[in-house]
Formats: sequence, C-alpha cells, structure tokens
Amino acid sequence: MKSNPVNQTSTQNVPISTRRKNIVANLAEYKYGILFALPWILGLIIFYAIPLFSSIYFSFTTYSILQPGEFIGLQNYKDLFHDTLFWKSVYNTVYFAIFFVPLSIIFGVALAMMLNMKVKGMAIYRTIFFLPTLVPHVALAVLWMWLLNPGFGLVNGLLNMIGIEGPAWLGSETWSKPSLILMSLWGIGQAVVIYLAGLGDIPEDYYDAADVDGANWFQKTIHITLPLLTPVIFFNLVMGIIGAFQQFTLPYTLTQGQGTPANSLTFYVMYLYDNGFKFFKMGYASAMAWILFIIIMALTAIVFITSKRWVHYQGK
Amino acid sequence: MKKKGKFGFLTFVLLMSFSLIIAGCSSNSSSSEGKENDGKTTVTFWHSMTDVTGEAVDEVIKAFEEKHPDIKINAVYTANQGEGQNEKLLTAVSGGNPPDVAYFDRFEIGSWAAQGSLEDLTELAEASGVTKDMYYPFAWEEASYDGKLYGLPTSTDSRLVYFNVDHFEEVGLDPNNPPKTIAELEAAAEKLTIKEGSRFQRIGFIPWFGQGWLYGWGWAFGGEFFNPETNTATANDPKVVEALQWMADYAQKYDVEDIAGFTDSQGTGAMDPFLTGQLSMKVSGPWEVSAIKKFKPDLNYGVFPMPTPTGENHTTWSGGWSVVIPKGAKNKEAAWEFLKFFSGEEGQKIFSGISRDFSVIDSVNEELGYKEDPILKEFVEILPVSHHRPVMTQGSLYWNELASAVENATRGNGTPEELLTKVTDKVNKELNK
Repeated sequence: MKSNPVNQTSTQNVPISTRRKNIVANLAEYKYGILFALPWILGLIIFYAIPLFSSIYFSFTTYSILQPGEFIGLQNYKDLFHDTLFWKSVYNTVYFAIFFVPLSIIFGVALAMMLNMKVKGMAIYRTIFFLPTLVPHVALAVLWMWLLNPGFGLVNGLLNMIGIEGPAWLGSETWSKPSLILMSLWGIGQAVVIYLAGLGDIPEDYYDAADVDGANWFQKTIHITLPLLTPVIFFNLVMGIIGAFQQFTLPYTLTQGQGTPANSLTFYVMYLYDNGFKFFKMGYASAMAWILFIIIMALTAIVFITSKRWVHYQGK
Repeated sequence: MKKKGKFGFLTFVLLMSFSLIIAGCSSNSSSSEGKENDGKTTVTFWHSMTDVTGEAVDEVIKAFEEKHPDIKINAVYTANQGEGQNEKLLTAVSGGNPPDVAYFDRFEIGSWAAQGSLEDLTELAEASGVTKDMYYPFAWEEASYDGKLYGLPTSTDSRLVYFNVDHFEEVGLDPNNPPKTIAELEAAAEKLTIKEGSRFQRIGFIPWFGQGWLYGWGWAFGGEFFNPETNTATANDPKVVEALQWMADYAQKYDVEDIAGFTDSQGTGAMDPFLTGQLSMKVSGPWEVSAIKKFKPDLNYGVFPMPTPTGENHTTWSGGWSVVIPKGAKNKEAAWEFLKFFSGEEGQKIFSGISRDFSVIDSVNEELGYKEDPILKEFVEILPVSHHRPVMTQGSLYWNELASAVENATRGNGTPEELLTKVTDKVNKELNK
C-alpha cells in the first residue's frame, strides 16, 4: 500500500471535533444514496441473508418447512455419511464436473480462437454459436431427448449411416452421464463470448514481434495466446466448477426428477431438492447445502492458490 | 422548517418501500378475503387437471355453483400438483396463504396430515352425515390418517394387464384364455417377442412398463409392504423379494439395455407402443380405454388380471385422487360444501361420467354402466379386493425408494434381497424419527 503523505498530515492536523463533523456531513451526503439502495438492501437481507444464515441452524434440526422440528445436533451430517444415495449423487456430480469443466474449456477456447479469425461474416458465425445459450434448459432437455432417442433420434440415425449401432443414450447407465455432458457442451456460447473478449485484449504487438522472430501459428498459440488468455480461463474455470456442482435443471427435466436410469442421473442438488421439498426433510437438505458450499469453497480456494503459478496477467 | 420537510420526505420514501414489500408478501388482498361485493364467497381451488378431466371438473363446478348461488369457485390450474410434486402447495401452506381446496393425490394424505398441513375433516363429516360406508373401503382408508379424516375421495382406478388379441391369435395363443400364472405370462411373452439383434421389432411384455410398479407385483406374489400395527415398512418380505427377483430375471433374459432402448424410443398418446402394436401386453389402468378409443379405435384388445405364481388370488391396487382443505384455508365452511358435493353422488356422477375415471361410490359406477362395459367391468369388479398403498408418513419416500430398487435390480446393481432390505431400513429409520 502506498500512502499519501499530504493527506495523512492534513487529517492529523484537523481537530477531532471537525473530523466528527465531517463524518456526519458525509453521512448526510450518503443518505439519499442509501435510501435509494434500501429496497435492494432489504431484499438482499430478507430474501438472501436471513434464509442463508438460518439454513445453518436448520441443518442441525429436523425442520420440515411445515414444522419447526427439533434440534438434533450433528445427526443430519452423520446420517448423510451413511446415506448411499447421497454418495451416489456425489459421485455423479463429481463425474460430471471432472469431464465437463475441462472439456468446456478446451472446446470454448478452441471455438473462440476460430471465431476470432478475420473472415467475412464472422458476426453471423458468432451469433450461431451463441444462440443455443438462449434456449431455456427445459426446452434444451426436450430437444435432446428427441435427438438422442435410441429408435428414431438424429444422433443414432447418423451413427447408423456410418455403420455404428448407437447406444440407448439416456436409457443406458453407462451413457446417460456422457449424454448429459454432450448436452451441456452445447451451451458454452456464454463462455466463448468471454474468451473472445479475452482474445481481443491481447495486443497485436506480441504477434508482430513473433512474426519477426519467425514463429509459426502453433508457437504463437502456445507462447502468446494461451498464457495471455489464462486470466479469462481462470475465471471460466471457477464459474464452470460452481456451475457443474449445481447441475439441476437438465437432469431433473430429462428424468422427471427420478434420476433414471438406476440413479445414474441423480445429481447432488436434485437429491437435495427431493429431500427438502418431497420428503419433508428440509433440515437434512440444509445440511447437504452446506456440505456443497464447503466443497465448492474448497475447490475454488485450491484453484485460487494454484492460480499464482499458471495465470499470467498482462503488464506483470 | 426545512429539516422537517426533509424528514417528511424520508419517511415517505421509507413507508413507500416498506408498503411495497409488504404488499408483495401478502396475498392478493381482495380475493383471499373471500367476500365479494355481491355477498358471494369465493373458494379458491387448486387442481392439476387438463384435457377431459379438466372438462369434467369444470362441469362439476358449474353444477355446484348453480346449487350454491352464494359460493363462487375460483379454479386455478396448478401444474405438477400431486404424484409427489406439491412444491407450490407446500410453500403456500407454510406461508399461511393456501387455497381453500386442493385436488390431492390420496396416497400423500398420510404424510401431509402427519405434518399438520391438512385440516381435520372428521367433525365436519360427522355433522353432515358423510360416512365410510358410502365409499369403497380402501378409498376412505387412504384419505384417513391416525383415525381422522383429512380428505374426501373423488376418483379411483385399478390395474390390469392389457393384451393385443390380434397378436395372440397370430402366434397361436388363445385370447379367450389369457395367462393366469406368472409362468404362463412368461411363456406368452416369449412367443410374442420378435427381436432382431439388439432391436425389438415387437416385445411381448415388460413387467415394469406403464403401471407395472413393484406394489402391483409384490401384492400379486402375495407379499405385504407395510405393517400398520408396528408402523414399519416390510419391503423385504420374502414374497416381495420373489416378485422383484422375477422382474430382475426377466430383465436379464431380454437384456435390460435393449429394453431401455426400446422403451425410451416410445412416445405417449397415439405413439404409445401398445397402441402402435410394438408391445403386446402392458399393465395399465382404466384410462387406457379412453386413450385407445381416441387414438386407435379399431384396436382389438382385452384385459386380464395381473398373473400370480399360483394362478389364483388375483389382486391389484388402486390409487386415486381426493379433495382436501389445506391448513390455514380461509373459507372452511364453503370449502367443505364443495368437497361434499364433489365427492358426493351428484358430483361423482358428473365427474366420473365425463372423465371416465371410476367413481369412489359403487352405485355411481353401476349407474354409469361401467359394470356392463366388457372391458371396464373387469376393472370395477376387482375393486373390492384391491389394495391401496400404505397410509404412512413416508409415502413419497417409500414410493421413490421402491422405484429405485426396481431400476437397480433390473440393471443388476445388487440382488433384490439386498436392495429391498436397504429400502426397508431407510424407510423405517425415517418412520421412527
């Protein structure tokens, strides 16, 4: 921290009474600002902060939404560790995150680099890749159910043409999660837009210099584009992890909330939701929510700690 | 002076923002009070009925309003109410702002009543002379919890096996003598199935397709799912295990992934595999009759009771709906009038007549001619020996767990005995809380 010596002396010289007056005057200045922000502040407190913090308490009770329940200490957490479906949902969610997050980065960066070429009509191509993200998740689920239909789906139809008999996709225990990853990858347009902005931020000078040195496309990508894109990749990695662990709408719609086949699509948040809203176990669900919070926090922390090694900010 | 003006403005803004928030939280002020200017009481009624059932309920409401000119029914369609999905009703009840009447899946009455979220109707029923002997016993039992009445039943059903008569004749099976035992059913299914590679051209029977829930097969094998005396789930009953073992063996015989590939390709309505002739036998309810009439009227079909290992003691199970008054409803008396009418003979005749769902009153079913229809007759006649899902506090959990057990057993993730013991332990643990 660089301190400003001029300011420091000036405040120190001012008598205490005037300083207090200054604070009062400042408050008066902020008054209207606070006042106009008040609806938002109240909304944040009432609809976010209070439920958020009361759920800590609920996680130690048998709260059922309809009844306050009893305080049972850590029982909910202990039960969770013996709940096989809980572990199954953790496995499913981790499986999804491990495959989806890296794939979304690889495809996202590759797509962004392609969409960054100077070709005529690029705005149209960019729009095409962004469009799928505008489709609501429920519509996306229904659409893919048709595409992946084992009997007359387009995907198996195409596979058939090249002589491969496609699997039952969403009906198969082995293929249900890969199908879901495939569907989710369809909606990476949002990330691509961010990567594009990141690509636009890389100064031409570096490429010019590399050209002078006789670097080829591959060398430029490895030594200029990717390192300078790391801040954006870093952002998308963190957001991707959070999003992957919160996966809900797609599998819930695809399976009508059942996580079929054989619980292979029961994701963490889906099981949380069932407990909270179907089985009258909001306390248990709250405990699950806090465990999820801890997992996401821990992963984010790990990413942040390692980021010093691989994220390169420009001008540093 | 100036300061005061400022202060006044401040309070004004504060009050405005508060009143906005409060107005947002409270109910839509005028209608929930129930009284309108012309002295009519408005009863809000949440239901999830569409299509023919939707038309039926509209007619019931019309008839009710004619009979009770002082009560107006405000029917609100609420998607996904019932069958384990009542999130909207749940939040409305806990927020103290529920509808006056809700259309409610009967098997959930137990768990909701245990949560104290439904109004106790015992006294109201006694006062108006509504008694158990008016209805099928299972319907009344399912609407009661702990000796108290929490809802009035409005419809019911039962489950039988539909079969395609033409397919039977084609492979040389006698359509007048359909399978009675499990072994006969399997033999028939084998004859009817046409498989090419991993693709089914036609499949004889899929035990868990349609309404082939474990409840039905468990009871058909003579098992019991619940012991009301000790309030414990008994999914690991050897007979239920036997039923699930049969399903698992069946899945292995025909390769479950291939069956899944087949079932996942199927649609509903006109695209239903039984209607398109890709499935020869299917467990389903009486509503299938209306669907066949609508989408494939020339289908030559029949029904037979779900086979049992011995070929005797055929049974089935019945679900159905009810109307309830959620806790905290504002117009209890007017709501009760509607409940009574809907579930009474008059309302039942209108509702069952249009929707073609069975009435919970035997005489109404007789009057509407269900007992003369060659197909529907079979469904009505089995009602007296029909089972109902256990009335318990964990009905939804038990249902989901049993469905998962079938999924896992048919896919070979654990033996039926292990899986059902796990289900029993999990549900009992919750029941004992």
